[in-house]
Amino acid sequence: MDSKVVVVTGGASGIGRATVLRFSEEGYAPVILDRDAEAGAETLSLLGSEPVEGQFIRADLTRKAEVTAAFDSILSARGRIDVLVNLAGGTFHKGAIHEVTPAQWKECLDLNLKTTFLCAQAVIAPMKQAGRGTIVNTASNFGITGGAERTHYAASKAAIIAFSKSLATELAPHGIRVNTIAPGLTGTERVRGKYDADEWAALSGTLPMGRAAMPEEIADGIFFLAGDESDYVTGATLHVNGGMVMP
Amino acid sequence: MRRLEGRTAIVTGSGQGIGEAIAMAMAEEGAGVVVAELREETADAVRRKIEEGGGTALAHATDVSQEPSVDAMVQACLERFGKVDILVNNAGIYPTSTVADMDEDEWERVIGTNLFGTFLCSRAVTPHMLQQQGGRIISITSGRGLQGADNGAHYASSKGGIIGFTKSLARELAPAGVAVNCICPGVSDTAQPRGHRTEEELYASAARIPLGRIGQPADMARAAVFLASDRAKFVTGQTLVVNGGAIMQ
Repeated sequence: MDSKVVVVTGGASGIGRATVLRFSEEGYAPVILDRDAEAGAETLSLLGSEPVEGQFIRADLTRKAEVTAAFDSILSARGRIDVLVNLAGGTFHKGAIHEVTPAQWKECLDLNLKTTFLCAQAVIAPMKQAGRGTIVNTASNFGITGGAERTHYAASKAAIIAFSKSLATELAPHGIRVNTIAPGLTGTERVRGKYDADEWAALSGTLPMGRAAMPEEIADGIFFLAGDESDYVTGATLHVNGGMVMP
Repeated sequence: MRRLEGRTAIVTGSGQGIGEAIAMAMAEEGAGVVVAELREETADAVRRKIEEGGGTALAHATDVSQEPSVDAMVQACLERFGKVDILVNNAGIYPTSTVADMDEDEWERVIGTNLFGTFLCSRAVTPHMLQQQGGRIISITSGRGLQGADNGAHYASSKGGIIGFTKSLARELAPAGVAVNCICPGVSDTAQPRGHRTEEELYASAARIPLGRIGQPADMARAAVFLASDRAKFVTGQTLVVNGGAIMQ
């Protein structure tokens, strides 16, 4: 019960999994909120004999009732939430603007932006009560540059940056910090799966550092923003992208 | 586990304020530190403090705006430590005047120290970082570089210039695995803002900062240690704002 608690949405795989492992190494009890129970179980199994126990909760984070239930159960079991990392989301479908259906648009905005809003809302009361806490939301290089055939995704990620700044201002008087991590091209299984080896090498080669990020490198940035090292940082966006975008 | 064990760091302007805090923090994390500071006595005082804390340091009286002085400093670093892994461009000055009344000499002095000094020091360490295929350059910019200053266009220009320089150098050195970034402090509890603000003004500015306090040198030092550490090896060309939310970007 004394361990710090981190809730990682989308924590079952990819950057989320790396983030769960990083916080666990640092002594946090990680709670994974994700739709994918199988991957969630696998992530928990990777915690191995880490000193603190992890937990998986299956939830559709676009539904307020499910979000509320999940956070209520975390609070009643653990009594605290120190860090919220909103990583749930993704691109899901690319397409030219005339091909993007309103349903696809809504799905993309819901999965990225609305989940971020609902989960942030759910931790405000306990963090205010504790007089401390940190929230890390996830943007993307596309939230800065935009991207062809990613209008919905880019819109959701730019929105997350503005949401984070607004929330940072709102919560600063309560000692709660809110920051944004912005990964660029990152070699998660899901992203890697979209390209063959040659395409991937060519794409990675376009980054100034000549390669894509490893999920662990994004997790390192998230841990910096969430922990005491960044005690005086709020409303900021940290880009971990090998120089892909320099806003 | 110390995060900069075995590294060598040059910190300019490290006789006081943010530079001193960065030098002390990097030494605490295991780096051998070159205290590159204009005034020899101040440099030596910080060197002593680091050594008294069990760290390793070399004091070097350095004028970052003078090429021979910078080259001598980097040479002294190489002679003592055999390499340079981290450069922190922190030395800077902030005299105040309007553009209408600005002396050309003062313009030259501010740009010469803040921007040209950052260039000279970066240029001097680059061959060594290229040779070892790795390194970090961290330059201290300012919120004035983002938003301008009504009492120091030279200072704002120099700090804005540092951001452009950093992004360019980041692109140039990325293939060699050298990361180049800025830290952007806000109003800090150091001697510098006291040159143009009263104590009351200084602390009153906290009311306009979302986190409700002005920055401490230690806040910037923690960010610098992060950017210098293995945990930030894929962060380059970025400006990390450490300002309590005063400017969000």
